[in-house]
Amino acid sequence: MGKYQKGLAGIFESEETILKAAEYIKNMGFKKFEALTPYPVHGMEEACGIKRSWIPYVTFIAGVTGLSFGTWLTWWTSAVNWPVNVGGKPFFSLPAFIPIMFELTILFAALSSVGALFYAAGLPTVNPPIIDPDLTSHKFAIFIPANDLGYDEGKLREVFQKLGATEVKLSEF
Amino acid sequence: MAAHTHHVQPQIQKFVASSALKTFAIGSIALGIIAFAIGLLRSPERAWAAYLTAFVFVTGISICGLFFVAINHITRAGWSVSIRRLSEAFTSFFPVILMGSVVLIGGVKYLYPWANPEVIAAQPMVAAKTGFLNTGFMITRVIGFALLMIYFGKKIVGNSVKQDSTKDELLTAKNLKLSVIWMPIFALSFSLFSVDLLMSLLPTWYSTIFGIYLFSGSFQASLAVLLIMMIYLKDNGYVKGYYGIDHIHDVTKYLKGFTVFWAYIAFSQYMLIWYANIPEETEYYLMRMHGGWLTVSLALIVFKFIVPFIALLPRGLKRNETHVFAVAILVILTQFLDVYWMVYPNFNNNEVVFGFYEIGLFLGFIGLFLMGLIRFFEKNNLVAISDPRMDEALHHHVSY
Repeated sequence: MGKYQKGLAGIFESEETILKAAEYIKNMGFKKFEALTPYPVHGMEEACGIKRSWIPYVTFIAGVTGLSFGTWLTWWTSAVNWPVNVGGKPFFSLPAFIPIMFELTILFAALSSVGALFYAAGLPTVNPPIIDPDLTSHKFAIFIPANDLGYDEGKLREVFQKLGATEVKLSEF
Repeated sequence: MAAHTHHVQPQIQKFVASSALKTFAIGSIALGIIAFAIGLLRSPERAWAAYLTAFVFVTGISICGLFFVAINHITRAGWSVSIRRLSEAFTSFFPVILMGSVVLIGGVKYLYPWANPEVIAAQPMVAAKTGFLNTGFMITRVIGFALLMIYFGKKIVGNSVKQDSTKDELLTAKNLKLSVIWMPIFALSFSLFSVDLLMSLLPTWYSTIFGIYLFSGSFQASLAVLLIMMIYLKDNGYVKGYYGIDHIHDVTKYLKGFTVFWAYIAFSQYMLIWYANIPEETEYYLMRMHGGWLTVSLALIVFKFIVPFIALLPRGLKRNETHVFAVAILVILTQFLDVYWMVYPNFNNNEVVFGFYEIGLFLGFIGLFLMGLIRFFEKNNLVAISDPRMDEALHHHVSY
């Protein structure tokens, strides 16, 4: 993921408070902030103003590529490079090749989606900075990097506290 | 945003069918009866073929409604409890399955070669099967099937309806158990049903996944019917806040999934027969690969698989009610075409015939199905309001 950013993190103890806080911080105009939760929280994407992921497009394009490759592969191997007469059927027999085309579509689409997910999420990350170990079990955090437009540590501490953060600390993410 | 729809206090109205809807249902039933009566007088073979097509078409859809209910009980699904009652209403057609099976006794000799003494005398392969395929035993099986469905439908839906007033959470546990018992019974008996009613139209031919083929198309159409009901009831203000675009989105995903499933099963059946190329197996497809039937076969691939698949691919379109409604109509019509394609090539010297009888009986059975739904909802709530998992359904939200 490259370099980590310094910034301010507010720790929250419930879904409701962090959803409200994220919404509020989004409305303050912050763009680069992150919400960290131990499990997927419904409505978090909207609250943070995150746009739809581009990964489905990768899946679609990879699927189409896999389908094309499967068509070409079966045609080239069975009808061009080494034609073999099987039961008197045409060299290029679509029904026999559809399973291969289908499987390659799925294989390409699935592996590319996983690859794109790793890329998009910046995985694997070795030894990332830890804001609070409890974020993996029962606490929630919002992290605002210092380079986000309008960042003002003193003011943000107040905002976090007003929003119900149980702890506010300088951190890195 | 959609995530916050639960702030609206959910409410349902008592369902009162609009007079237009009632007129349509009654008019369709009347038209069906007229078409059937005229058909019986003028060309009984075709009238019975039209009857069988429409009967199997609607029966499949109604039984798959109970399948949707059972699968949601078995998986302890929370998101779907606010729409489960709509699917439960499909069971109101079950008594018609019983009556329809009894009526079918009159058509056996017109429809099935194994009931024709000349065919039995001429074809030893058919004669060898008459121990299983004879009118008495076949009708007994079909009636037994209808009775089993009625019994489980009454039990499972009865418990759900009872919960509305008693709020007894144990009923949910009971329905889980009943669903688990029903599922294998459904799988076996529905397979037999499809073999008896459709596959035995060509008694020398067999396909071991015929039952799943009929199920896959029926369930696909059943989800389409569910979507139409969801959109209709929501847009006419009968149900507010219980389900929204997120539920429609998820049922549409289901619909797309089972569109692919149908294609998968259809192709599996076709490919093995095509590959092995054994005369006694290819018979079925040869009848559907010549003349007008080739067009119908190709239309099925295009309009029952390719078009819905592409139409339901983009996320935005799955959340567009008008679009989903249109695709659902297409899926229902193509399911009828599919059953028609399974039945008709066996008759009329393999000519494609379609007209008044087919449309009349199609509408007739649709009318019966609709009438069942109207009467069900005049008695019962539109939503299983006291389900213990309702909270989960009200907070249902589809993330990106």
